[in-house]
Amino acid sequence: MGGVEDDEPASKRMKLACRELKGNPNDSLLSEPSFGSSRDLMARLLQSEEDEVIGSKGVIKKVEFVQIIAKALYSLGYKKSGAHLEEESGIPLHSSAVNMFMHQILDGNWGESVATLHSIGLKDESTVKSASFLILEQKFFELLDGGKVMDALKTLRTEIAHLCASSNQLRELSSNLVSFSHGASVGSSNQVNLRAKSRPKLLQELQELLPPTIMVPERRLEQLVEQALTLQRDACVFHNSLDREISLYTDHQCGRDQIPSRTLQVGTNGEVSLKHKLSGHHKPVSSVSWSSDDGKLLTCGVEESVRCWDVSSGECLHVYEKSGPGLVSCGWSPDGKSIFSGVNDRSICMWDLDGKEVENWKGQRTLRISDLEITRDGKQIMSIFKETAILLFDREAKSERVIEEDQTITSFSLSRDNRYLLVNLVGPEIHLWNIDGDINLVAKYKGHKRTRFVIKSCFGGSEQAFVASGSEDSQVYIWHRGSEELIGKLSGHSGSVNCVSWNPVNPHMLASASDDGTIRIWGLNSHLQQHKKLQQVHSNGGSMAAAYNGRT
Amino acid sequence: MGRIFTLDLEGNVYSCKYCHTHLALFEDILSKVRFLCKHGEAYLFDKVVNVMVGEKEERNMLTGMHTVVDIFCVGCGSIVGWKYEAAHEESQQYKVGKFILERFQVLGPNTWSHDDGSDVED
Repeated sequence: MGGVEDDEPASKRMKLACRELKGNPNDSLLSEPSFGSSRDLMARLLQSEEDEVIGSKGVIKKVEFVQIIAKALYSLGYKKSGAHLEEESGIPLHSSAVNMFMHQILDGNWGESVATLHSIGLKDESTVKSASFLILEQKFFELLDGGKVMDALKTLRTEIAHLCASSNQLRELSSNLVSFSHGASVGSSNQVNLRAKSRPKLLQELQELLPPTIMVPERRLEQLVEQALTLQRDACVFHNSLDREISLYTDHQCGRDQIPSRTLQVGTNGEVSLKHKLSGHHKPVSSVSWSSDDGKLLTCGVEESVRCWDVSSGECLHVYEKSGPGLVSCGWSPDGKSIFSGVNDRSICMWDLDGKEVENWKGQRTLRISDLEITRDGKQIMSIFKETAILLFDREAKSERVIEEDQTITSFSLSRDNRYLLVNLVGPEIHLWNIDGDINLVAKYKGHKRTRFVIKSCFGGSEQAFVASGSEDSQVYIWHRGSEELIGKLSGHSGSVNCVSWNPVNPHMLASASDDGTIRIWGLNSHLQQHKKLQQVHSNGGSMAAAYNGRT
Repeated sequence: MGRIFTLDLEGNVYSCKYCHTHLALFEDILSKVRFLCKHGEAYLFDKVVNVMVGEKEERNMLTGMHTVVDIFCVGCGSIVGWKYEAAHEESQQYKVGKFILERFQVLGPNTWSHDDGSDVED
């Protein structure tokens, strides 16, 4: 033991302090306010070290840094290393009071643990109350499980009652007494139903309740590392890989090679081939809609009719039309049992598969040129209903929401998670709107060209992190969704690119349709191509062919 | 060809005489001034839709030098009038940002019943 030496002041002093505290558990803690908080004690002892910072920016406190490392070592199961670190650094993971508290919980010294709780240095009274409640609740249940009903009742009355947040809580606990004694009298207590949780579990719950300055939260180091990795990933504008591995050794930064930039195929000779030509419409086909199972396709002839086709056979299954007004858009209900269609009298109607009109929403719901989108839960229907506004109406709740724009809207598309809408404006400009909860404008994308045509855009890439659009200057434009940065302009077409579609399962493949009469498939600029099945591409490439060259 | 985007107007519509694409509404005429151009009458509109603009030009008109852009119907590309981008004289500033549709190029209601000292221009 001997004297305290200069080069090891903190740890030795801590040990002395511990012994002092342990010696008088019941009185000194409460009767000597100057030593009441062991945290104060530790603070005073470590004053010189507490302000020490490390790292190039000088924002990391050394004490905190070492503590979360020690915590991580313990979490990983390296108890010896953790203890060694505490000793070698002289920075204990927990104050002695907290250590004592933890032991008391694990040993079941309820009364003492509650007392220690008061001296740990908690500023918030309600935390003390909640923690005390948890501890005593454990005591209550353990007594019950041990068959000590009278003791449990006494605990409930004298110790727990005043801590209950509501009379409901008290009633719930009391009911345990009743059911216990009931079970006992019936004699079915050979199957012991333990109500108390394990003590380590209790400790974990208490840890979550106590502020992080008292007890370092579990897995804090992992959390910080994950935050850094997430930030790196979000900052990586070219990030478009399927695999989720990011190394800790270097900052993550993808190169442009992950974005489609090379034409793989022009026209329908190649990996993507023509499957069917669907003939029947007499008017140009303005829109298509795939059923959820990709088995059927709806097509809409402008101001004419909607046709339903079987994808594998190419056969026309049904023609939907109204006597009088023409149909202007089409969309599948997610359950595949109904079809929605915009009408040129501005209404929207719903048919069952046999062609019977089951619903009709009158009034100004859509325009002659408008997309029609239905959310995956089948509840919300979206369409352009005014020059500068999109209507989102919930057909179940019969409520309506509106997106108001500052310029004329030409088209829009819904994100896969149904939380965002990508709106194309005459500008040309593309606006990204959040429609989940409050409606608000999130981002704007510019650079492409448009004067005459409806130019479509879409989400795409891994986690739909990109926005792609056609352009009247014959190029395909790609922006990074989060940063609004234009990251790619794909050249190759010799006419206005009217429509683009990013493969939903292959983030490295994109299709575009142009006034030059061709479809181009774009892929990565590397010779190592992943072979993808035709079906997956077909669900996007096919839809553009139908819509834009007026061919069936 | 791609799908041409056009807006449909409701009311007394002026439309392109070749392809009938809607261009403007009677209500949007700024009626104080009567315009004349070489093909006849022309009307000044607050708002015109479904047009594309050409290159900026300095044009000397009856009322002075102006910076204008020609406007073309998006449906068929025929010229239907012009838009005032800038006016060099103070008194002509009211025209800036407004559109002229030449009566000869459009189908629609005839106007000009009032004769209360309206100016003749351009």
